[in-house]
Amino acid sequence: MALRYSLEIDFRRWLSNCFVNWFALAGHCRKKIFRSCDRYVSRLKSLIWTTGLLAGLALRAEVPSAIAIKDAHIVTVSGEDLPKATVLLRGGLIEDVGAQLTIPADAWVIDGAGLTVYPGFVNGLSNWGLPVAPVAARGTAATATTEPRVHGPEDRPQNYSYERAADSVTPADTKLEAARAAGFTSSATFLDRGIFRGLGAFIDLAGEKGREMIVAEPIGQEISVTRGAGFGRGFPSALMGYLSYVRQMFLDLNQYQEAKALYAANPVGLHRPEYDHTLEGLEESPRLLLPAVESQQIERMLVFAPELKKPFALYGLHEAFKDIDLLKQANVPLLVSLKWPEKPRDADPTDVPSYRELELRAQAPSVPGLLAKAGVKFAFYSDGVDSAADLKKALKKALDSGLTRADAIRALTLTPAEMYGVADRTGSIAKGKIANLVVMKGEAFDDKTTVEYVFVDGMQFKPSKESQQAAPGAGRRPSLDIAEEEIDGDRL
Amino acid sequence: MRKLVGLVFCAFGLFAAESNSVLIRNVTVHPVTGPVVENGSVLVVDGKIEEVGHRTSARAGVRVVDGKGMHLYPGMINAATNVGLAEIEAIRDSVDLDEIGEFNPQLRAEIAFNPSSEHIPVVRAAGITSVITLPSDGSRGGRSGTGSVITGQGALMHLDGWTWEEMAVRPMAVMEMLFPEIRAAGRNPFAAQAGAGARTFQEEERQYHAELSHISDFLEDVRRYKKAKDAKGPGFERDLKLEAMLGVIDGTQPLFVRAERERMIKDAIAFSDKEKVKIIIADPREMGAMGPELKKRDIPVVLGKVLALPEHEDDPYDEPYTLPAEFYKAGVKFCFGTFDVEFARNVPFEAAQAAAFGLPKEEALKAVTINSAEIFGVGSQIGSIDKGKTADLILTDGDPLEARTNIKGMFIAGKEVSLESRHTREYEKWLKRP
Amino acid sequence: MRKILLLLAAVCSLNAQTFLIRNATILTVTKGTIENGSVLVENGKIAAVGKNISAPTGAPVVDGTGQFLMPGIIDCHSHTAIEGGVNEGSVSDSSMVNIKDVLNPTDINIYRALAGGLTVSNVLHGSANAIGGQTIVVKLRWGKNAQQMIFEGAKPGIKFALGENPKRQGYPPQGFGLTGPTLERRYPGTRMGVEDVIRESFNEAKIYQAQWEEYRTKTARGEKVIAPRKDLRLEPLVEVLNGQRYVHAHCYRADEILMLLRVADDMGFKIRTLQHVLEGYKVAKEIAAHGAGASTFSDWWSYKIEAYDATPYNAALMTKKGVLVSLNSDSDELQRHLNLEAAKVMRYGGLSQDEALAMVTINPAKQLGIDNSVGSIEVGKSADLVLFDQHPLSGYSKPLKVWIDGNQYFDRAKDLEARADFAKKKKVLLDKEATPARGPRGGAATEGPSQ
Repeated sequence: MALRYSLEIDFRRWLSNCFVNWFALAGHCRKKIFRSCDRYVSRLKSLIWTTGLLAGLALRAEVPSAIAIKDAHIVTVSGEDLPKATVLLRGGLIEDVGAQLTIPADAWVIDGAGLTVYPGFVNGLSNWGLPVAPVAARGTAATATTEPRVHGPEDRPQNYSYERAADSVTPADTKLEAARAAGFTSSATFLDRGIFRGLGAFIDLAGEKGREMIVAEPIGQEISVTRGAGFGRGFPSALMGYLSYVRQMFLDLNQYQEAKALYAANPVGLHRPEYDHTLEGLEESPRLLLPAVESQQIERMLVFAPELKKPFALYGLHEAFKDIDLLKQANVPLLVSLKWPEKPRDADPTDVPSYRELELRAQAPSVPGLLAKAGVKFAFYSDGVDSAADLKKALKKALDSGLTRADAIRALTLTPAEMYGVADRTGSIAKGKIANLVVMKGEAFDDKTTVEYVFVDGMQFKPSKESQQAAPGAGRRPSLDIAEEEIDGDRL
Repeated sequence: MRKLVGLVFCAFGLFAAESNSVLIRNVTVHPVTGPVVENGSVLVVDGKIEEVGHRTSARAGVRVVDGKGMHLYPGMINAATNVGLAEIEAIRDSVDLDEIGEFNPQLRAEIAFNPSSEHIPVVRAAGITSVITLPSDGSRGGRSGTGSVITGQGALMHLDGWTWEEMAVRPMAVMEMLFPEIRAAGRNPFAAQAGAGARTFQEEERQYHAELSHISDFLEDVRRYKKAKDAKGPGFERDLKLEAMLGVIDGTQPLFVRAERERMIKDAIAFSDKEKVKIIIADPREMGAMGPELKKRDIPVVLGKVLALPEHEDDPYDEPYTLPAEFYKAGVKFCFGTFDVEFARNVPFEAAQAAAFGLPKEEALKAVTINSAEIFGVGSQIGSIDKGKTADLILTDGDPLEARTNIKGMFIAGKEVSLESRHTREYEKWLKRP
Repeated sequence: MRKILLLLAAVCSLNAQTFLIRNATILTVTKGTIENGSVLVENGKIAAVGKNISAPTGAPVVDGTGQFLMPGIIDCHSHTAIEGGVNEGSVSDSSMVNIKDVLNPTDINIYRALAGGLTVSNVLHGSANAIGGQTIVVKLRWGKNAQQMIFEGAKPGIKFALGENPKRQGYPPQGFGLTGPTLERRYPGTRMGVEDVIRESFNEAKIYQAQWEEYRTKTARGEKVIAPRKDLRLEPLVEVLNGQRYVHAHCYRADEILMLLRVADDMGFKIRTLQHVLEGYKVAKEIAAHGAGASTFSDWWSYKIEAYDATPYNAALMTKKGVLVSLNSDSDELQRHLNLEAAKVMRYGGLSQDEALAMVTINPAKQLGIDNSVGSIEVGKSADLVLFDQHPLSGYSKPLKVWIDGNQYFDRAKDLEARADFAKKKKVLLDKEATPARGPRGGAATEGPSQ
């Protein structure tokens, strides 16, 4: 795997340099061709080779992949915390990590003094890597008239269970730059429309092509039960409708599997089971992701989900501070949303929020710390928080509310990898694992800490200051005004 | 000759049946404005209370009603309804509320009051002899979809009579105004669906102040009109809208201001100070710090339903129940109205629950009788059993604020009135089904 | 407020299941009134009712002098504590949905209802469709989770709706008054169609039932057959046919009430309760003959045309014709004072005190099939009790204490006491939010509540 320069460096400038060099070399050859044939022939060969490569590989520089980050603070997560150690990367994998490593001669050395190396962060649930869907495709009121009324679960409304996020992953997604700037190298990526949202993929956040980014798939089925369609638009419209629909789907799945098995054993005299790609999608789902934000929703899901007879994880969990014991007992994977509830910007001053709302805002960030203290494993997910600055701020909030840095790192790395069954190949710094790392100057989440490098599948990135400080939506054009607002302190 | 005398007496008898003179005796009289009179009687002559005492017989021609030891109370008053203007809420054609337009002072509820509305006998059967009927249901553009501010004039109507003209005890009693409100973003769950973007608080506030100044401008127009009218200036043209506001600016007609929240009450008080108009605060859901302000200016209040839910999740569970007592303790004069049609007959029960939660019982009774009369300017006519007042009376077998009590008889302006209604007729009819 | 109230509930319910209520007027409802009476509660059950009962040593005594004790109030028609929508109104038959799935034990209206003496609610799906969702009976155990609120052993139900509401979406789009793109009409648009929906659904249910019977027979014989699809919509209808699920039918007009009774007769099941049933007085004979209960409003009328013939005499008249009648609320607000509603049947129809009280206690208990454990103050029943400061049928009364299964869930005195503390705690949170480290305008917090 060739080493690629960071996209943040002006690519075109680099490319034109290559061609300039090539022409210069060609020119040089022409002048000197009568001086030494042998020398020029070999140079000619390398010229042809370079040209061929350039033509064949289309704009890629083949830089050696061996890198050593030397004498840095390495937080391996799966192993010991190494205050002064070296990690070796080669060919996109971690070749070795340890305090007394011999650095290969061909390795590019990065001086790790003052640097902390963590496994690259994993977003537990997001749409990172997926192109933003055009608004029209989402189904607005304008399209409601053309859609026939849904009669019930048998019409499979809003069901995209068979769609695969992996098929749509693209390195061109504009959110990736900000994601990497926040130290993320991977994401459990899911399409985000409908009730049954499809099969997600565990992806690394860079690549030449989308398919190179896929680490594992399918990793699960995301299910949403928020009211989208609205009154009068069709089934389901109430929460109980959503839940009964989900329940029915899994009953149908059960029957479908039995019917298929029976039919396969001996089709004679039996009606063939009708192909149902929505059920195929569910069948393929190794686990379900179910939403639960408020306390009674958490309690409800823990009663409801086991009926579906699939492993499941809960996402949301802001009011989980009321249910720590229950969650400990339940022992299911948990995804905590980083979109902490905030006071609305434009509140009527005489409209005093309820105690419950205030308590939620005050205590939601303490959920990770409480879970960690109770020994309950959890991961984080972005929940629409896409800018590096906001992600950092959200994580910092959890730390300020009682989460230790070590537990935060765990929740961002090995835990989500474990949740999705890829802990054997990523999620920590260990020999043979994928080279997904984030190298920070300082300790993670401290205000002054910056992200120096991010390695995704061994590809090196150097996130710019702007991308680390940018506000949401400023991924492409960071503006100084927003940066100032940041410096000013609280924005909400 | 004897035949002639007989005929004359018969005529008298007929006359007596329709007459508005009666002696009600053998009752416990509850004047409301004074102490209870045991074994008492009330003499009504030509529709007016002539005497409260212990008379046992009357002169010829006056019917005698034996109260059989029951109770006589003043007929009760519901101080805020839409009775007569709306029959079935879900059928738009049967509803005459909330006319289109921002300022409609010239509209009068009494002329659209349907004397044949089934609600009239139904409400009457609960011991209510008069209601204030208003031109709006307070939903602020819920029907007409516009921002109505001054919706028209409300009237105090007797619940008996052949025509609205006969029934109007005090036509044009008040000028109804829906005080502007700031709709907090997110309170209207249908706004988002209807496609309206949620407005920011700043926008709402700006709109609110714009509306307030618009109202002030309108009052200024009225004053200018008055000046021109009084001066009989050349080219003066009569304008019905501005004409209708003259009572407001000279203080003879109070503005019936619907102001639910403390901020709105505060601003309504400031408004009345500034514009020098009399106001009544209608349907406040909270008092906050406004008690002393209201008392200082003698601004009365018409309270809405006591049997209601608290506005906010964290409010004490009995917040609406204790609100009347709060006003009472602050020395503010108030009466009860239901602000609807369907449950207008239940205003006595609203008063009773207020008494369960801190309001003295006598005050609860006053708040559905004499207070209502006084607040609407007819305190010398109705609201209590006092000499000289119109004989609006009810005969009961107990406390009329209690559901267990039966209303046994009713007199409106001295005339005995039937307590039958659609409801009693259906009951009687279907009771007989074999 | 909720946190404090939950703490209160927790404290109240600790070891509080054995106690004596002494010297109150006991309104048993079924066994007369006992002046200066007492009720002994042991382990959450009523152990003794009478005069001169002494408390076991150490058991707390509640002094009820001058006060009135009645059974916990029961509401046959509630939509409280439902999360995410009361109606799955998108389809004409939404029997696949279940209220049990969406109970919200954190709804503050539960507490407010308790404060009004309510102890048991029949939580129903709304009336947007001819056949609505499955329903459940709960006890208002404020502070417990959803599972713990479910009334153990109470038969589940299903909601039907007749009349205007279930046909409203069948009108041309403007009927709704919604702006925007036109909505496709949903069948039915007439009362005739409403009957059709019910008949069709039960016809399907019978076919489904037969399919499963056939499947069971075949597999019992050892045949390998593919099972029919388990259909969540038809399952509850089969349960209705088998008498395992009660039908609670919202209805107004006499003709539709009669229609439903005849459909049920044809299909071979019983209507358990008719809800609202405002014209029930016209067909009381038929209702009584069928054996359906009637759960109605005390005095609602005229808000729509089908309610125009409603009279407050409905409850009394149906009672006189032999129907089992209860009064319900269908409202977060009304459920707080069902005792006051009950009083109205004394005025409108001349029912007695005990008949009035029965309307909100033993009658709804019988309708819901839970009268062996609640609905009256009798030995052996659950200690679901309410202590009032005045006679509960008086408009001047209010509940002071409420127990469910002998656990105290409401105490007015404690509620009043807790308010100052709660206000303080809330202020702490408000202050914390109102003072950012540095406001964007650099000054003091201009936002933040004024209170």
